[in-house]
Amino acid sequence: MSGGTLVRRVAAVRTADGAELHAVVDGPDDAPVTLVLAHGWTLAQAAWDDVADLLAPRIAGGELRLIRYDQRGHGRSTWGRYGDDVSDLSLDQLGADLGELIDQLAPNGPVVLGGHSMGGMTIMCLAAARPDLFGDRVRGVALVSTSAGDLAPAGRTLGERLQLRFAPGMVTAAIGGARVLERMRQLLPPTSPRHRKVVRELLYGADATDEMVVAGAEIMHACTVRAFAAFYPALGGHDKRTELKALQSVPVEILVGDSDKLTPQRHSRQLVEALPEARLQVVERTGHMLTQERPQRVVDVIGRLLSAAVQDRTAA
Amino acid sequence: MTSTLEIQSGPTSSAVREVRVAIIGSGFAGLGMAIALARRGETGFVVLERADEVGGTWRDNTYPGAACDVQSSLYSFSFAPNPGWARSYSEQPEIQRYLQTTADRFGVREHCVFGADVTSARWDDASRRWHVTTAAGEFRARVLVSAAGALADPTYPDIPGLDTFAGTVMHSARWDHSHDLAGERVAVVGTGASAIQVVPAIQPVVGSIAVYQRTPAWVVPRTDHPVKSWMRLLYRVVPGLQRAVRAFLYLFREFLVLGMAKNRRFLKPVARLARAHLHSQVRDPKLRTALTPDYTIGCKRILISNDYFPAVAAPNAELVTAGIAEVRPHSIVTTDGVERPADTIVLATGFHVTDLPIAKKICGRDGRSLADVWSDGMISNRSATVAGFPNLFLLVGPNVGVGHTSMVYMIESQVAYVDDALQTMDAEGLEVLETTPAAQQAYRDLIAEKSKGTVWLAGGCASWYLDEHGHNTTLWPDFTFRFRRLTRKLDRENYVGIPAGATSEQPEVAA
Repeated sequence: MSGGTLVRRVAAVRTADGAELHAVVDGPDDAPVTLVLAHGWTLAQAAWDDVADLLAPRIAGGELRLIRYDQRGHGRSTWGRYGDDVSDLSLDQLGADLGELIDQLAPNGPVVLGGHSMGGMTIMCLAAARPDLFGDRVRGVALVSTSAGDLAPAGRTLGERLQLRFAPGMVTAAIGGARVLERMRQLLPPTSPRHRKVVRELLYGADATDEMVVAGAEIMHACTVRAFAAFYPALGGHDKRTELKALQSVPVEILVGDSDKLTPQRHSRQLVEALPEARLQVVERTGHMLTQERPQRVVDVIGRLLSAAVQDRTAA
Repeated sequence: MTSTLEIQSGPTSSAVREVRVAIIGSGFAGLGMAIALARRGETGFVVLERADEVGGTWRDNTYPGAACDVQSSLYSFSFAPNPGWARSYSEQPEIQRYLQTTADRFGVREHCVFGADVTSARWDDASRRWHVTTAAGEFRARVLVSAAGALADPTYPDIPGLDTFAGTVMHSARWDHSHDLAGERVAVVGTGASAIQVVPAIQPVVGSIAVYQRTPAWVVPRTDHPVKSWMRLLYRVVPGLQRAVRAFLYLFREFLVLGMAKNRRFLKPVARLARAHLHSQVRDPKLRTALTPDYTIGCKRILISNDYFPAVAAPNAELVTAGIAEVRPHSIVTTDGVERPADTIVLATGFHVTDLPIAKKICGRDGRSLADVWSDGMISNRSATVAGFPNLFLLVGPNVGVGHTSMVYMIESQVAYVDDALQTMDAEGLEVLETTPAAQQAYRDLIAEKSKGTVWLAGGCASWYLDEHGHNTTLWPDFTFRFRRLTRKLDRENYVGIPAGATSEQPEVAA
């Protein structure tokens, strides 16, 4: 059906609990390998757009199929059973979502997974819950600016401990007052220099252009206060440091920016300790938004994983 | 009802039927004209309807979600108020039922000839009659009223390969209800008034939906709500209340003319409302940008919807802004090289408005068709008559369109004008009544003058309101009450009349 064109379709993946995950599938169904990309907290699949653009010629050439999707509660995807109450939301749910998405959109053939930040944690949750999927089906994993856990260390000072103690209450208050907070956010839109400055300092490295920062800030601005607040404690509760065994059976590439403030290098180094075969690259002058800041570096590691996944297949 | 239909429809005889007035079309305009004639005791008229039921545009546009953009209390005949409207903005089935019951109530259904698709209407100068050929027989009429309408014949876009598509292709105005869209990959072409209604109606049932947009529309909130039963009762008991609501709605909507035709500054609050509406319904920055128009609000028709934006932002939806390059048997390819598989293509691409198809079929005194005479743009006197076409009256012809208020108001204005012309002919014993070239040139100048600087010409968009030369030949570019005043009485001085018996060499010239 292709003939030089890039075949695209949109799918709403319905999960067991009735959530709908918005997925964009690029490339032919009979491509030799499927790449699934999971985005991070308060982002959306658009965080992968720069990577997708670089991959487009290879997708049009029939080399791979690319699936980008919005995580539950993010972008266009719905909340499912957490529509009213988010108190028992954990990242394991995101792992289960990714599993269902693979089952429905890539029911057979080799799969390579890429996860940025919370998207990487999503892959770890999937690996912990469904280790059988890794090896034969999932043949490669790229973990970008992410962590296996320990994101909310026990407070060292009294102030930190108090903050931790009151965090759940703050989250509830934030969700309850989401409407008001949304209003307040409109007062400082991404176009304002102060908004950009905050975002740049927190998330970007030294070489990030203003366009990158604005694009990222707009994606995050589109995220709801609810998603921000609901996933905050879920991230704190994420700990898969002892459940990464399934990832040992596939090639794993780890990328992290040297100036990442959200998931600093130590998180990636912890990952390598648990996955000795994994390949770690620390990217210079780069912050947390590595997929935007260094899309070519991401494409390079993904390219290696894709080649290996296809070679495996021909060998087998 | 059915018995009448059976008696009236089909080529019953080869004999030519003589009538005083032949009306083409049985939509709001055709029925309005017929009812006006029936109410003053006229019996010698027929309504020629190509379908097997009255209703026109509201009979044909049955696509899911079809509804009126004007409140029903206003979008209805002034002489036939309906206290029973179930919603403030009615949906198609209820409007169609209203037209049917109104036709029955005023006894005009028996004048309808169904299945009478007009193939040609020629003026015979010798007999001073219109010869109308239809699929249901021939008619000779003293007067021909074309109420064929502007939103009658669907436009099919000229997209390469559309005819090679292996799946289903349907126009929104010719919906195939037997075709089940559940789970299908559906492509909707167009983002006008029909698309904006059909997209949210089918989005929840289809597998995925791709909306192909050329120009985004300005969309404002729809204040639609069910009419409470006590309110309906109140309308029934106190008819004056519904008339007051109608008057209020009319005046409120007429304020838009200030912005569209007088000073575009007045449109700014409307644009702000539309922008806030988009902001509150769409969070995705890219989608928001794609849905933000770059022309002045009002240049194209302002659309009203509360569920269109959420539908294009749904998990199974995609808004495509790249132009369509070609259609392949199982997909649509856009100019950016992206190919999207599709099972069904819905064409929400509008109607032949600036090139009314009925104009090709009506031939005047010298044998030239109306379309031919109009090749430089539609021209008329008072939107109703054309020089060289004696005893022909147009309803919903050139420059009567309105985007901001009820078309029925314009239709009733026109019907009053035509009815006055017919009564004048009777009173003066005229067999022929024809407008003058000077009068229609003056009317064209008037329209051009009024259109100058309006948002439709200066708003920076290409719309179906303008013809291929960029002239406004479809819209009435002023307050609608001014049109009503202009068409209250026949402007007898702009007409040449020939009394019965007189030869055309010695016409009785206008007063």
